[in-house]
Amino acid sequence: MNHQPKTAIILCTCSGIISEKIDWEKVRTQLAGHPDKPVVTTDELACGADNLEKLAAWLKEQGPERVVVAACSPREHERTFRNLLTAVGINPYYLQMINVREQVAWVTADPDQATRKAARLITAALQRVGHHQPLMERHVPVRTDVAVIGAGPAGIQAALTLARAGRIVTLIEKEPFFGGMPVRFEELFPNLECGPCLLEPGMGELLHGPESEHIKLLTLTEVTEVKGSFGNWQLTLRQQPRYINPELCIGCMICATVCPVRRENRWNCGGELAAVDGPFVGALPNLPHVDAGHCLKLNGRECGACLAECPVEGALDFNDTIRDSVVEVGAIIVATGAEELPVSPPVFAGRDNVFSAYAFERLLAMTGPSGGELVKGDGSAPASLAIVQCAGSFDDVVTYCSGTCCQAALKYAHISAAKREGLTVTRLIREQVVAGVNAARLFNHDHSHVIRYRGLGDLTVAETPNGRVITCASSGTQIPADMIVLCGPTVPSQGTAQTARLLELGVDDAGFIAPIHALSGSFLSPLKGIYLAGTCRGPGDIREAFASGTAAAGVALSELVEGRDLAVDPQVAVVDVEQCAGCKSCIRVCPYKAISWNEVAKTADVSDILCRGCGTCVAVCPAGAITARGFSRAMLRAEIEGVLS
Amino acid sequence: MSCQTMPDRAPYPAAEVMSAGAPTEVRIVAFLCNWCSYAGADKTGMNQLPVPAELSVVRVMCSGRVEPTLILETFQKGADGVMVLACHPGDCHYKEGNLRAFCRAELLERMMPQLGVNPARFYFDYVSAAEAEKFSQVTNDFVASIRALAGTDSER
Repeated sequence: MNHQPKTAIILCTCSGIISEKIDWEKVRTQLAGHPDKPVVTTDELACGADNLEKLAAWLKEQGPERVVVAACSPREHERTFRNLLTAVGINPYYLQMINVREQVAWVTADPDQATRKAARLITAALQRVGHHQPLMERHVPVRTDVAVIGAGPAGIQAALTLARAGRIVTLIEKEPFFGGMPVRFEELFPNLECGPCLLEPGMGELLHGPESEHIKLLTLTEVTEVKGSFGNWQLTLRQQPRYINPELCIGCMICATVCPVRRENRWNCGGELAAVDGPFVGALPNLPHVDAGHCLKLNGRECGACLAECPVEGALDFNDTIRDSVVEVGAIIVATGAEELPVSPPVFAGRDNVFSAYAFERLLAMTGPSGGELVKGDGSAPASLAIVQCAGSFDDVVTYCSGTCCQAALKYAHISAAKREGLTVTRLIREQVVAGVNAARLFNHDHSHVIRYRGLGDLTVAETPNGRVITCASSGTQIPADMIVLCGPTVPSQGTAQTARLLELGVDDAGFIAPIHALSGSFLSPLKGIYLAGTCRGPGDIREAFASGTAAAGVALSELVEGRDLAVDPQVAVVDVEQCAGCKSCIRVCPYKAISWNEVAKTADVSDILCRGCGTCVAVCPAGAITARGFSRAMLRAEIEGVLS
Repeated sequence: MSCQTMPDRAPYPAAEVMSAGAPTEVRIVAFLCNWCSYAGADKTGMNQLPVPAELSVVRVMCSGRVEPTLILETFQKGADGVMVLACHPGDCHYKEGNLRAFCRAELLERMMPQLGVNPARFYFDYVSAAEAEKFSQVTNDFVASIRALAGTDSER
């Protein structure tokens, strides 16, 4: 470089703290002989408000093209001095800070050595600033729309909260209906409140209320790709065909009654559904959906029973196809939930009248396979019920407590006893967790026998002439068990695992999405612009789901404000298209998916919004075609030469 | 990426051969990532722990930015030793830049003898923002080992 830009050097004594070790006078003497002829000033406390004014006046008077500040850590005051440069009309990125306080004065015992080291670092900075380029911070508007993944109570609550604030929400649900787990539970702990009754006002509001204009509910939809960062996420969605036109269908379900096909009703854990049907009475949205695997017409067979009987022309749409779409949002709320791990210990395998907690929940429900009757598979009344809590929890695979199975078991005991007078109910527990004021209501009225057992291996089952009996080997206790409920552990749902992978979010030991802090930031993921709600964060009840849904929405509202732009750091990577050989190495290593392939130019392309300026791509580029602005190869080389000179 | 398992780096081996002559002025360049190691170096200052005066810090945003050629250039320009200090595995501010730095360090160390540079002159480690003592320790140990190498290395 022929022209050496005029450089001003500010030496800070830090109220004597730095100058105690570093002899600035000696450094100034040395700098006086420097071929670049920098202008130098010494300041008592360069970051002080009055001193900054004085320094601004001095810089204006000197009119330098570059500024070197030898003071404290750039982690502390780089912004202060960048602002100083901006204030006097010098590009803020013409600054180079030397950390002579933390990394020289405070760590070097010998003043001579400290002074020599400081001088060396200043020389390096002088060389470095010659290569600095003027950069401009760019301001881009953030999107204030939000995507909510998962439409259980947490997702619904988040969507409604955002919509009430006027935000546009895309609510993404992979099932054909929404409401999550508790909408399928007829009674909820501890007050035996009806799950659908509790959820449906919100669901109705979401579908038909004034908020519905702001919420787009997509059922049968999954997120297939996520790109972007805070303020500018791009989600690729794939919606499976419902084969029903939601605008036209009136939800009369005549199609289901005339459909000749029957399939298993997995939502009910029993009973059957037609190929075109709704999962259970009251499921929302009130639309059937066609199971493509079972529908005769979709499998090339002669059938049109539903079409013939449907009262609305066009409501059934067999030309419906997979719909791929892209939604652009500022924030993502993950509310993908948890599920019950199905446990089938060998001792219970193949036996009848053994239920998972979820299956038992449906058996008790009026809309369930038995219409709410507590009956065995053969339709007869049970004399005894054994509820095995912690079935599979606290063991080698699932080491933790699910937090809700004591609640569920107390509820089952209560409802079952009410349904069958004289029913013997036994709860087998390993630990018992029923905290809270309301929980005491059911807990104090529990008439079940409580037996402590030592894990599933402790149990044996025998069919006797007087009915089935579970024996607890450790204590020899015998428990009558015509019906058995196995309360399996709560584990992350498949949707949670998939979403964590897509968003590259870390998970905890159990596979739940790890929040930024377990206590103070349990609604926040480590990635800004991605918030967490409900049981994707770990086991929890519906109260927790509502609360965390509201919390996640609140954080999204506070961080994405209409009119508050996102400042884009200009210190990002840029590709020199002339140099780019098109090897795509950089695309592979970028942790933020900030680099894309320009098919037309056959070169890599960096998005400055997504790029965080780490420089990993710079290091991997074999052609040297990528420059890290602010940390370019030329700057680092100059700095290295400087410290070694 | 291939280097998924991140073994802890063995502590730097103390130089086996002690320098025969007087203490030699050595020049060490340490590339520190902004978020963990540079913050750790700041913390070392706050705790008033010693750092060798021979050490010159070059701040980079991520250890993943430091390509092997830059390290070799640093030797070429006269450094007696080069350090790259990164965030601990799992703590990288940029998700995995430190893992890439680790892989490159492993390869570079294997390549160095063929380029005529003693691999003992290069040191890669993890230093967190809280590890003031570790920063002081590794920098002092490394500089001592480089000083001990002086006069024993024929290649430099």
